[in-house]
Amino acid sequence: MNTASPTVFVVDDYAPVRRSISRLLRAAGFLVATFASAEEFLAQYDPGAWGCLVLDVAMPALNGLQLQDILVKTRSLLPIVFLTGEGDIPMSVRAMKRGASDFLTKPVDEKDLLAAVRVAIDKHRAWRREQVEASDVRARLAALTPREREVLGYVVAGKLNKQIAGDLGTVEQTIKVHRARVMQKMKARSVAELVRLMERCRINGSVHC
Amino acid sequence: MSWISIVWSMNAGACFVLAGVCFVVWCKQTKSWPHLLFSCSAVAAGVIALIELAMLHTNTAGNYTELIRWIHVPVWVLTLSFVAFVRLYLRAGRRWLAWSICGLRTLVLILNFILTPNINFRAITSLRHFSWWGGEMVSVPVGTPNPWCLFSNISLLLLLIFSIDATVTVWRRGDQRRALVIGGSMILGAIVAWHIPLVIWGVIDVPFFLGFAYSGIVLAMGYELSNDMLQTVQLARELETSEANLRESQKRMELAANAAEMGMWMWDIVRDEIWITDKGRALFGFRPWEKLDFNRFRNGLHPDDRETVLEAVETSLRTGAEYESEFRVVLPDGQLRWIAGRGHVEFNGDGQPVRMRGASVDITKRKQAEEQVARQRNEMAHLSRVSTLGELSGSIAHELNLPLTAILSNAQAAQRILANGADLAEVREILSDIVSEDKRAGEVIHRLRQWLKKDKVQEHSLQINEVVDDVLKLIRSDLVNQKVTMDIELARNLPAVSGDPVQLQQVLVNLVVNACDAMTGCKTTERRLLIRTGIENDNSAVVVSVTDRGCSIPEEKIEEIFEPFFTTKSKGMGLGLSVCRTIITAHRGKICATNNPDRGATFHFSLPISSPEKEVLNASHPANMQCFSHGAVRRLGRCRSKSSERLAEVWLDGN
Repeated sequence: MNTASPTVFVVDDYAPVRRSISRLLRAAGFLVATFASAEEFLAQYDPGAWGCLVLDVAMPALNGLQLQDILVKTRSLLPIVFLTGEGDIPMSVRAMKRGASDFLTKPVDEKDLLAAVRVAIDKHRAWRREQVEASDVRARLAALTPREREVLGYVVAGKLNKQIAGDLGTVEQTIKVHRARVMQKMKARSVAELVRLMERCRINGSVHC
Repeated sequence: MSWISIVWSMNAGACFVLAGVCFVVWCKQTKSWPHLLFSCSAVAAGVIALIELAMLHTNTAGNYTELIRWIHVPVWVLTLSFVAFVRLYLRAGRRWLAWSICGLRTLVLILNFILTPNINFRAITSLRHFSWWGGEMVSVPVGTPNPWCLFSNISLLLLLIFSIDATVTVWRRGDQRRALVIGGSMILGAIVAWHIPLVIWGVIDVPFFLGFAYSGIVLAMGYELSNDMLQTVQLARELETSEANLRESQKRMELAANAAEMGMWMWDIVRDEIWITDKGRALFGFRPWEKLDFNRFRNGLHPDDRETVLEAVETSLRTGAEYESEFRVVLPDGQLRWIAGRGHVEFNGDGQPVRMRGASVDITKRKQAEEQVARQRNEMAHLSRVSTLGELSGSIAHELNLPLTAILSNAQAAQRILANGADLAEVREILSDIVSEDKRAGEVIHRLRQWLKKDKVQEHSLQINEVVDDVLKLIRSDLVNQKVTMDIELARNLPAVSGDPVQLQQVLVNLVVNACDAMTGCKTTERRLLIRTGIENDNSAVVVSVTDRGCSIPEEKIEEIFEPFFTTKSKGMGLGLSVCRTIITAHRGKICATNNPDRGATFHFSLPISSPEKEVLNASHPANMQCFSHGAVRRLGRCRSKSSERLAEVWLDGN
């Protein structure tokens, strides 16, 4: 998935603006898909798609901010660059609070737009990489036995084998074996790496280790 | 001198006098042929009387024969002229009888000169002298009557019949006085004339007195003439009185006209001359001695008004309708004066206009007052537009922003495309987009400029649907921002109305802004606005309505809302609806508000359709016209009526 080129999704109800933004982005080397309304975008939205969303705010029926709410609710990671004709501060604050990548006003200079789009795509790329890693870690975690996962918790918390054995009411030798298996299954060469893996897993707040 | 000489001479004299009088009348009125004919017959009668007098005093049979021969000439003249006179003067007597009498009499005259010694006698052997009435000695001829005399007698008989017939006709016609006087004297004369054959045949022993047979007629005619004279005098007196009255009423009229500052005029179309009172000259700035024609009048008009006035004149000359127009004239000192003119065209028998009369009056003061009111109204409307602009500024900025965004991004895209190695087809598309977007931005600016313009009101023919379209362009973004859904129902083929487009846009914008404000408390899904256009059932006006789904207007306030400074909102001066009413009233229209049955209110305004458009409408069946249903339209007439059930139902069903 990461190998495919990112797509910039442009949603604007005014066709000439939609066309011009799309031309500019294509000329800058992006893949572009355009939509005349928020509804049209939702109907064709593929949660696996990657890139970013360039979104108009003022639209009849469903407006840009409402679309953002819907995407947040569906846990979409697609970064949003808002493009509005009459943005005010409360509106932009609200949009940024909900995780918008940027908030630009029309008419927009290519420099700003392209920079915002690049930043958004980079963000998406990073998020997605993290997400992939997290799911990888989750898969490794899934391979652990309950006992091994228990041990993992103690190891990450920085406990020594002896302490763990004491807490779990077993001998140090057994813990050593468990620990070696955990390290092997988690493909961690050191405790430090193990901690980093677990942290990445926790950063993507949706994941419970 | 014997009394016979006196009587016969007097008879002749009376005839000549009457002949003279009638001849003089004919000389004055050459068309009065009866007078000439009567004059001829009277002269003939006079001559007859004189010849008879000569006969009475003749001593030799030879002279007598000669006199009888010559007396036929005046008799012929008398008969012919008299018959013609009766035909012309009384318009009676059968034509064939008249012709027969004339023919026979002419034949008698000819035979009289062919036969010897004359038509009456084959020979006069002697004269018989005898003493007659009071011992006068008179001569009568003695001889053999001529059988050819029969023709003369027949003509005499025909004359009698002709006279009776004419008299009966006149009597039946109802002119009994004339029948008695003239007819009676005619018949009497015709009977008396019969003494001639009787004398000739020796039946009676009297001298000829044919002249007297005519004297009855002379008396009757004298009576008629004096009657005519009396009537003429009376007519003349009446004429004098009526002329005096006319002068009096003319004076009064002039007085009234001057008091009313009115100039009276008359245009002789055939000669192209204009007569006008002194007041009128002063009004138009004509010099007192100036000769006036239509061209002079036309040149005095203000160039901008010339066409209108000429059209009004042409229309009344063509149709005969009253001429009516208001125009400015340029006075010699360069000042302008407003004048109202009214006039009436008179036509001749062939339907050609011959003259036009009328009056003109100075209306400068009224016009100035009207202009001032209009100016104030426009200033208020303009101020209100300026303040509305504040509310629309967001919308307008957005309308400008969209094309500017498209232009900038397109231009930058093109720069990139050109730098990358040009895809000319795409660049071409970009340029065409830039052009159209630039035009769009220009239109926004143009609308804005129109909106802020402080020009005089320019009434012209316009389509109300276009006004609605323009308003939608102005407020579209505003509606989107306020999350108001707009429904539009425009009737097709609406007739044009006369008005100022910007002011009508203003009314609609105010109504829409008002409706949006009324819905701020509603849920976004309920914020719906409906604009409809239609036509009144009687084709008299175009109707526009704006329906909202917001709060209703309290029934007791429904009239008050159009008053200035009435407001229920925290913002605004409460002038919007009052400006609407001012503008619509100035457009001779009506505006009112009604509550919808369930919720919200509807504002309606109507604008009258110009007369020619109305005629077209009435002529064609308005089948393709989307008409307002009865309920909705009538409300314009009675604004207080309960609600707009029908309209709301239609609309809610539509939802």
